Amino acid sequence: MFLYLPVALTSVSILIILGIGLSIGLLSGLFGVGGGFLITPILMMLGIPPTVAAASGANQMVAASASGTYTHWKLGNVDFKMGIYLLVGSFIGGVLGVYTIAFLKLLGNADFIIKLTYVVIPLTVGGYMVFESLQSMRKARAGVTDELTKEESGFKKFLKTLPFQTDFKKSGVRHSALLPVIIGILVGILAAIMGVGGGFIMVPIMLYILDMPILVVVGTSLFQILFTVIEVTFLSAYTNHTVDFTLALLMLIGSSIGAQLGTILSKKMDAEQLKILLALLILAVGIKILSELTLSPAIHLTV
Amino acid sequence: MRTKAYLKVIAVTVLITLSVLAMFSSVAFAQLKLDTDQNSVKIDVFYHGSTISLSGATDPGADLVIKITSPEGESKLREKGKVGFFWMNTGELKFKHVPNLYFLYSTKDTKDILSPEEMNKHVIGYSSLKEQVEISPIKKDSERTKWFTEFVKFKEESGLYGVSPKSISVTKKGSEERYNINIDWPFQAPPGHYTATVYEIKNKKIVDKAETSISVSQAGLVKTIANMASKNGALYGIVSIVIALLVGFGISLIFKKS
Repeated sequence: MFLYLPVALTSVSILIILGIGLSIGLLSGLFGVGGGFLITPILMMLGIPPTVAAASGANQMVAASASGTYTHWKLGNVDFKMGIYLLVGSFIGGVLGVYTIAFLKLLGNADFIIKLTYVVIPLTVGGYMVFESLQSMRKARAGVTDELTKEESGFKKFLKTLPFQTDFKKSGVRHSALLPVIIGILVGILAAIMGVGGGFIMVPIMLYILDMPILVVVGTSLFQILFTVIEVTFLSAYTNHTVDFTLALLMLIGSSIGAQLGTILSKKMDAEQLKILLALLILAVGIKILSELTLSPAIHLTV
Repeated sequence: MRTKAYLKVIAVTVLITLSVLAMFSSVAFAQLKLDTDQNSVKIDVFYHGSTISLSGATDPGADLVIKITSPEGESKLREKGKVGFFWMNTGELKFKHVPNLYFLYSTKDTKDILSPEEMNKHVIGYSSLKEQVEISPIKKDSERTKWFTEFVKFKEESGLYGVSPKSISVTKKGSEERYNINIDWPFQAPPGHYTATVYEIKNKKIVDKAETSISVSQAGLVKTIANMASKNGALYGIVSIVIALLVGFGISLIFKKS
C-alpha cells in the first residue's frame, strides 16, 4: 500500500516507511542517537528530496526522542542538569557553526572539509570506542579490575583544575560547569557543519570525557535531542516549507514504538555490549560515507 | 468569346482540382484522432501513479508516434566530480529548453520511420532534445554530449523520461484502423499541465497530428496539507511538533501500562 507525500511530491510504500521509523527508533532508544545521519540518505534513496528528508526526519525524531526521554526519565536515566548545560553549549555552537561554514566557504574548500569531517569523525570515534571496549574486555577476562589499573590521565587531571566544579548527581560525576558547555559548543559547531544533530559525537564524548554511565548517557542525549529536533522542525517548516508531515507521521509511529523497544532492550544488555554495538554502528556509518565518497556514482548529476 | 470559354474551362478545372484535393485531404488527414480515458489526474492520499489509455482512429498503413511532455523550462542540477579521492558536488548545471517530463511511444523505432529533420522539427527523440538544450556553463560539444546523456539518465532514473518504441498497437475494425496504448503515468510527475500529441507518419514525414491535454492536480487531504505547508508554515510547524509529541508520549504511556 502506498501513500502520497504532499510536500516531497512522491509516493512511498507505507510498510517501508514504518519499517525505517521502527529501526531508527530502536537505535535511538538503545544508544541515544537521533539517527539523522541514517534517515536522510535512506529517504533520498526512495526519491525524497534531501531537504525534505532532513526536515521530516527531524519532525519524526520529536516523537521518538519524546517517547525515549519519557521512558528513560521514568527509569531515572536523565541527568537534566547535564542536559541543560550541554543544550546551552550546543545552541551557541549551532550559531557559531553557521559562521564557521561561511568562513570555510571564504577559504574556498568548504565542501572538501565538510566531507572530510564526515569520514574522519565517525571513523576516529568508532575506532577509539572499539579499541577501548576490546581493551576493557581483555582486562575483564584477565581478572584485572578497572579501578586498579585505571590511572587518571593528564587530560582528566587537567579537567579537575577547571573552575566552577559542580556535582552532577544523576551521573555520579563532578565536573566544571564550563566543561559540558564547551563540549556542547564544539559538538554544535561540528553538527552544524555536518548538517546532522550530532548524537553520534555527543554520546561517545559523554561516555569517555564526562565519564557518565551509559544508560544516563542515552537518556540525557535523548532529552537534548528532543529540544534540537523541535527547533529544527519549526525552522524548516517556517522558513523552507520542507517538513512533510505525512512522511513524518508514518515514520514517527514506527520510531516511537522502536524507541520503546530500544529502551527495553538497553536495560537487558550490559554496558560493555551496548558500547561495542554503538561503536560498530558509528564505524559502519563512517565506512558507508567513505565508500559513497570514493566509489564512482552511477549518475553524475544530483538534485 | 474564345477567351471567355477558356476562362470557364480553367475555372471549372481549378474547382474540380480543389474539391478532389479537399476530398483527398479529408481521407488522409481528418481521420487521426487522440482520445484519452482521463484528461485529469487527481492526486489523493493513496495515489501511486495512474494508468492512462490513449486511443484513436488512424489512416491505414501509417506509422504513429505519441509524445507526452510538460512545457519546456529550466532544470538546475548539481554536478558530481572528483576532488582528490572524493566524489562531491563540484558545481551547478543549468539545462534550458527541456521539459520536466518527456515520454515517447511509437509503432516502430522512430529513427526508421522519420527523417532527422522531421524529428528535430517536432522534437521527437532524445537526439532532437539534445539539439535544442542549452547547458550552462558548458561550452565544449563533447562536454555537452556527456552532460546531456547524464541528464537523460538522471531523468529516466527519476521516472520522468522514457522512450518506448514498438509500444503502440494498431488493430483493424471493419474498414477503420484504431491504435491503442496504456500508459503508466508516473507518480513522480508533479502537479501541472501536460500535452499528449499523436503524429501520423508516412514516407518518413509527419502528415497529421492530434493533441490532448492531461492535467495533474492535488485533491482532498493532500491539497490541504500542501497548502498549509506552503502558506502557513509557522502553524504547520507547530501542529507537526505537537502531534509528534502527543504520539511520542502516548506510545510511551501505552508501553508503560502494558
